[in-house]
Amino acid sequence: MMRGNEMSHERETSREASSDGTDAVASQTALDVDELVVGYPGADGPVIDGQTLAVPEGEVTALIGPNGSGKSTLLKALANRLDPDDGRVLLDDRRVDSFDSKELARKLGRLSQQNTAPDTISVEELVERGRYPHQGFFESQTDGDEEAVDEAIAMAGVEHLRDREVGTLSGGQTQLVWIAMVLAQDTDILLLDEPTTFLDPRHQLEVMRVVERLRDESDTTVVLVLHDISQAARYADNVVALKAGTIYANGPPEAVVTDDLLADVFDIDSEIIETKHGPVVVPLDPLVEHSRNETNESEMLQRGESSSNKQE
Amino acid sequence: MAELFDRLADRRAAASRWYTDSTLAGVALGSVAVLVGATLLQVTFGAFPLTLGEAWGAVFDPSILFSVEAWRAFLLGADIPEWFTQQQHIVWNIRLPRILVGVLVGANLAVSGAIFQIITRNELASPYILGVSDGAGLVVLVVLTAFSELLPLVPVLAAIGGGAAFLLVYIIAWKNGTSPVRLVLAGVIVSTIFGSVQRALFFFIDDLSTVMSAQAWLSGSLLNTDWGEVRIALPFTLLALVLAFVVTKELDVLALGEETADSLGMPVEKMRFAVAGIAVLSTAAAIAVAGLIGFVGLIVPHMVRNVVGGDSRRLLLGCLFLGPALLVGADVGARLALNPIQLPVGIITGLVGGPYFLYLMRKTENLGEI
Repeated sequence: MMRGNEMSHERETSREASSDGTDAVASQTALDVDELVVGYPGADGPVIDGQTLAVPEGEVTALIGPNGSGKSTLLKALANRLDPDDGRVLLDDRRVDSFDSKELARKLGRLSQQNTAPDTISVEELVERGRYPHQGFFESQTDGDEEAVDEAIAMAGVEHLRDREVGTLSGGQTQLVWIAMVLAQDTDILLLDEPTTFLDPRHQLEVMRVVERLRDESDTTVVLVLHDISQAARYADNVVALKAGTIYANGPPEAVVTDDLLADVFDIDSEIIETKHGPVVVPLDPLVEHSRNETNESEMLQRGESSSNKQE
Repeated sequence: MAELFDRLADRRAAASRWYTDSTLAGVALGSVAVLVGATLLQVTFGAFPLTLGEAWGAVFDPSILFSVEAWRAFLLGADIPEWFTQQQHIVWNIRLPRILVGVLVGANLAVSGAIFQIITRNELASPYILGVSDGAGLVVLVVLTAFSELLPLVPVLAAIGGGAAFLLVYIIAWKNGTSPVRLVLAGVIVSTIFGSVQRALFFFIDDLSTVMSAQAWLSGSLLNTDWGEVRIALPFTLLALVLAFVVTKELDVLALGEETADSLGMPVEKMRFAVAGIAVLSTAAAIAVAGLIGFVGLIVPHMVRNVVGGDSRRLLLGCLFLGPALLVGADVGARLALNPIQLPVGIITGLVGGPYFLYLMRKTENLGEI
């Protein structure tokens, strides 16, 4: 067991991540979150309160954290789906809310947690919808569109489903098809909100393989919310741990995924086993509130105001 | 090897495209057949019976088909040429316009129904779901009870009433934007209130024949329609249908839900309002000439979707054919079934539509989701 006190302060870790990144492109930033304050209209208080984060270009960044910690909210703010109360999100040194909506959709794709398509359209038709931001109002499908659709279908590995009706697919197949749709959008940045939740292991692997291929075969920047910490540790270049709307830690998986962090962020007692496939997290027990107070008193005092559970 | 697979994939894609195109062609051809059959019956039978030959002779009479003078009378409201025989008069001035109005109304209701089903993401939505019918109905009742001097303007006023009700629904539903559920709920609220006022107004009508004509209007009827109705409906129908086909790509994206549409870069609220506006224009054109015909806008898109799939362009094309076929076919029953009594066509469409939904309910498990 190693103690990770030096990891507990977010600024230090984020600086660390950019300085010892293995890749040359790691220093480039795809998305710049600057003192962001964001919440939902009508709710009291922001969900994300004054957080700063640099998403490295061409890498896979995983957001982890308990339910209600603001992962999806942060993702929505990155995609300009929520108006920030303060601070800003920059893409190519421009605020995301200064982009024309279609222009932004050509640079940044987002797949939300739950998606609904008409049951009676074919897989190919659903993937074709991803070309919408590339088409003018009176334009119809071009050769370029068709090519992008073919590539997306191949990349997501759903060629065999191409002519099936969406309503006849299983949950895992549906998720892969939606990923193909967002791939057809052909963006530099891809935000995926819990792409593997509710999937069987095989489909989880297929989804994560698409993410791997995106990083290896293209320069796509991927930001994804994951509930499976081992998965985050295995596939991500950077792991960002959120707790109650604050970025608790940020850095390479081996630095962030520690049992101390899991105790602090997820309130669980866990054992981390190093394997050749990366660290595997074995959750053991939920931590009781008072025992945590004893072990991490100083940290609890630091973050006392943000411990209330907030809407995700 | 890879090339072989590619070629196989292309072949398969082509085959599947051919299949979907051919089902659409099947819907179109079947609809045209029904339409032709219904036209044949409508033109032949009635108080002044013709033989089949006479009827078709009159329909394809070149002296009318190629007469500028006749078409000016039909479409621009000039005087009917004096050289019309009685037969030509009956076919071209009484029976054919009714069929034409039926075609226009059927196309409008089916296409606008399909659009409303996409906007509300609900297969059971009808063109009347956002309060249009009760808004129009209320205006008709108000005119009949209080402003009978405005009676000739009823078609236009009813359409305006429907449009106003739609706007009211949108205002009620708006709170940091709208959502399909909020729109449908607001539609129910407005419909309930307007419907109650409308029924209350019936008690202020003393004249039984006025009550009868109000009833016929509310049930939806093609009785006594002539070229005047064609002239009212045609321009709005053309405008609405052209616009509807312009926005099929937008409809396809809207059908994926707000979240996805938004992340694909669509200004969802603006687009939804614009598309709903097109559908209301289309519905209003139908209401103006035929009153409130139920079920056509509900079942036609449903039937078409089951056959050709949910792609908006194919769906609207299918509706464009099947809507007129169903409505004109139903009107044959309305006009000839209980001859000499003519029923409002809305009663026939209801009688056909109810059992169709019963059949669907029995057959499918999760009816309702688009």
